[in-house]
Amino acid sequence: MYSIDRKFVALNVVLLVGAIAFLSVSESTYVTQLIVWSAINAVLAAGMRFVLLIGETNMACGAIYGFAAYLTAIGVTNGFDAVPLVVTIAALGGGVLGLLFGWVTLRVKGPYFMLIGFAFTEVIRLAYTRIDYVGGNSGMVGIYAPISLDRWMPAICVAVCYLLVIGFFAAEKSSFGSLMHAVRNNDKVVETLGVSALRVKLVCFVIAAVAVGAAGSIHAYSYHVISPGDFSFLIPVYALAYAKVGGERHVVGPVIGAIFLTVISQLVQGSGALQYVLFGGVIIVSMIGVRGGLIDIAKWVRCRYRIGGARLRVLKDPASGELG
Amino acid sequence: MQLRASLRAVLFGAAFSLAVAPAFADDVLKFGVSAPMSGAAANWGIGCDWVGQKVVRQINDNGGIRAGGKTYKVQLTTYDNLYTAAGGAQSAQAMINRDGVRYIVQSLGTAPVQATQSLSERSGVILLTTAWGKTIKGPKFPLTFTNSNTPYEIFGPLFALVKEQHPNIKTVALLNPNDATGQQAEAQSKLEWGKLGVSVVSSSFYERGTTEFQSIATKLAATKADAVDLGGSAPGDAGSVLKELAVQGWAGVKLYPAGTGSDTLVKVGGKSAEGVYMGQGADFSGPTATKLQRDLDTQAKQALKEPLNILQMGVWDGVMAIKAGIEKADSIDPKAVAKALSSAKPNTSYGPVGYGGTATYGSPQQLLVPVIITQIQNGQTIEVRRVKSPDASGG
Amino acid sequence: MALFVQLALNTLQAGSVYVLFALGLTLIFGVMGVVNFAHGQFFALGALLTSVLVPALHDSLGGSVAIAFVLSSVISIIVVLALAAAAYQFGFRRYLRDMVGSFILSVGMLLFFEGLFLWIFGGVPRVVPNIAPGELRILGAAIELQRLIVCAVAVAIGIMLYLMLGYTRFGRAVRATAEDAGAATLQGVRHKRTLLYGFMVGSFLAAVSGCLTAPLAVITPSVGNDYLIKGFVTIIIGGLGSIPGAIIGGFAIALLESVVGYYLDGTMATIGMFCVVAVLLLFRPRGMLGHVQH
Repeated sequence: MYSIDRKFVALNVVLLVGAIAFLSVSESTYVTQLIVWSAINAVLAAGMRFVLLIGETNMACGAIYGFAAYLTAIGVTNGFDAVPLVVTIAALGGGVLGLLFGWVTLRVKGPYFMLIGFAFTEVIRLAYTRIDYVGGNSGMVGIYAPISLDRWMPAICVAVCYLLVIGFFAAEKSSFGSLMHAVRNNDKVVETLGVSALRVKLVCFVIAAVAVGAAGSIHAYSYHVISPGDFSFLIPVYALAYAKVGGERHVVGPVIGAIFLTVISQLVQGSGALQYVLFGGVIIVSMIGVRGGLIDIAKWVRCRYRIGGARLRVLKDPASGELG
Repeated sequence: MQLRASLRAVLFGAAFSLAVAPAFADDVLKFGVSAPMSGAAANWGIGCDWVGQKVVRQINDNGGIRAGGKTYKVQLTTYDNLYTAAGGAQSAQAMINRDGVRYIVQSLGTAPVQATQSLSERSGVILLTTAWGKTIKGPKFPLTFTNSNTPYEIFGPLFALVKEQHPNIKTVALLNPNDATGQQAEAQSKLEWGKLGVSVVSSSFYERGTTEFQSIATKLAATKADAVDLGGSAPGDAGSVLKELAVQGWAGVKLYPAGTGSDTLVKVGGKSAEGVYMGQGADFSGPTATKLQRDLDTQAKQALKEPLNILQMGVWDGVMAIKAGIEKADSIDPKAVAKALSSAKPNTSYGPVGYGGTATYGSPQQLLVPVIITQIQNGQTIEVRRVKSPDASGG
Repeated sequence: MALFVQLALNTLQAGSVYVLFALGLTLIFGVMGVVNFAHGQFFALGALLTSVLVPALHDSLGGSVAIAFVLSSVISIIVVLALAAAAYQFGFRRYLRDMVGSFILSVGMLLFFEGLFLWIFGGVPRVVPNIAPGELRILGAAIELQRLIVCAVAVAIGIMLYLMLGYTRFGRAVRATAEDAGAATLQGVRHKRTLLYGFMVGSFLAAVSGCLTAPLAVITPSVGNDYLIKGFVTIIIGGLGSIPGAIIGGFAIALLESVVGYYLDGTMATIGMFCVVAVLLLFRPRGMLGHVQH
């Protein structure tokens, strides 16, 4: 497997510092926004993959994402200016919601768990539309960081997202991560060792919920306006698409998938009805074309390059640890 | 459809470069429209785009827009705002920062418009909209204007007329879709009916995308209300509800105050749509419409297979308003144009019309197109009364 | 009394179409282990083509609307089946038994087809003329004749499906494959062919529901989405892969909508539906009649 080596850490530090520097000085608002949105989606996708590691599809992340965004909006519009505090509280709020939901539902598995999550997301969204305090269907406006921080917000947002993804990676590589893999394979065996499989699933779920909550808070600060329609079942569906298209083998996969599909969805803005044709087409082609996701294309390309262009077919390894 | 598809492909290719687009490329002014172009409301966006391309072609064919000694051509693109805040924010970014649009000539949906506004006001971009909501306009948003009337202008005169023609109405049942339009229509309906002494016996919401209206009709029929107010329901949905109401034996006064599509209403509702009063259901093919509107409507029926509604006609008015503003200010700077608009008299599709609404909103940001009250008679939309917009402080 | 009958009629008619739609979905999942989120698009295509062809055929061939409707439905179903075959061959065949993978693939198809239909058909709401003018009044309640006919056809098709699955060789092959694909192959069931035909039957049911809905509702390219959500809720309530479950689930959803829609409103009915599903799954995680997951 992978051991934490100096080169890896150095590469990440360089990337992070480079991103922060670029975002702090860049004049191009459009590219900056694109990077921030990609970062948020990367966290959503990585969170989805994290829960896939215990073998469950987390369709409730839409509700958690939205809940944290609304908490942020309520905080900001009531005058809470301290960005780190608001983001933390919103993330913890997301975690609490995740804890409550997971505690009740994680006994259920597979497609049933998926659908309970889906139902939960939709019920919460519909509830927002009927609550006047959060603006009903018109949503909430004016979610800005204080003016002094305004310039740094893109950098802060991306840095937070980056650290969250690193956090997922660390959790996966830790001994807890091994427990998660074990539970996915066969939770009965894990129970015979005296570990509560349900507890492992719940902790995994809450970790993902806190991260998704932080992402939701950043969503609110980046878009400045939120409405219930932003937090429908499409959030977990797209998160799953990013994870699958990018590749589930490694945590970098969902990140790549998120960046790729976010950029594509922005490029097709302005094409009218063709927008969905193009976006849907990209997903279809990705799913049919490369089974392991985009990271497998990268691996395939690297292999061919190393072999020096000799005509060798790269055999797909069925035991590559591919999920799902 | 084919022409528009390849136009899209060309624009898509042109927008591929992520570098900051120049604000004005060679004397071309970029106009934008933000509307839903997918999902249940897709037709609005598609129609808006069609009208937009028409008016832009007419301007370009007649020499473009002149300001500061130069002549400019106009280009218009419609962006899908998905009818959500996030969609509005994303399309606003694409419009304003990627493609360099400086004048948004029409935008639909309260949540996406609010999202767009948070960027447009900061970026010095003019935003014309049909979105309702008093909080969208005012001195805090000097670059935002509305192209058409809102419930605050329409409902009062409409309900008064209905009560006049049916003095015995005592009770009304409301139905609205569960979205921003529906919620605002419901609130304004309750207010205006209250002023006339008619009591609201029930108010229901339904989810956009619903196909089965039988239970909703059963509920409305059971209230035995004298009148039914369909608020901001989609035209197809309104027609379905009226049809079911007729089947279940309800007969009373029917209102569709914020409805925009009388053609679909009649198509779906058939005989049950007889006598429906509408506040935004202008019939642009009738004798009271201007010649320009009638011609556009006829062409739209061929191209889009359905007539134009007020929101789509509003694109023409929006573009002409910007043209008037630029020419009055003799400058293409959006801030100067915005200042000039308050005293300009754009040559809209209704004829020359000014801006007003200071009493309601705090500054003259409402285009004073007339409130047109219509009624369906023998399957045709007949204009019953035309009311000059209440706040005529702009002229 | 009249109210009770009215609500019952509403439930019966709406439920019969939900059931047909859900039957297709549950069949596909049961046989192939595939979650087909694009099922609603097959429904939409059936409805769209019917709504376009009925006026066209009626105008050019004359005769009654009902004949034009039958002809249009047949054509629409054939087109949808061709599309379904393509979707299976090039797509779903690679994601058998992979719930998440097939789900995402079908989401891509959903977006692709919805955009495509919008581009081809435009967003204009379409209406099919009444195929059987008139109403039936019974015990103080009323229902359109065409709704009754649609309901009867749906029930008939449901019965035919039940008989087919129970008594034909193909039906037995499908059920065997759903229960244990390996053992079925050992018994001589042609696996790949059975899967393909199973998918086609499921998609046929979607197309038929679409055609039957065309005269009753306003048809736009996004008409499938509402049915899709309800369809999934239905099959989860009834149990994935269970035919009787889908029937019970479909009528249960229709009943909930009728009753809650009447006493509260449409939005509360939708919220209620989701809450019921969530609560039910907590107490009975496989749905009411679901099989144990393999």
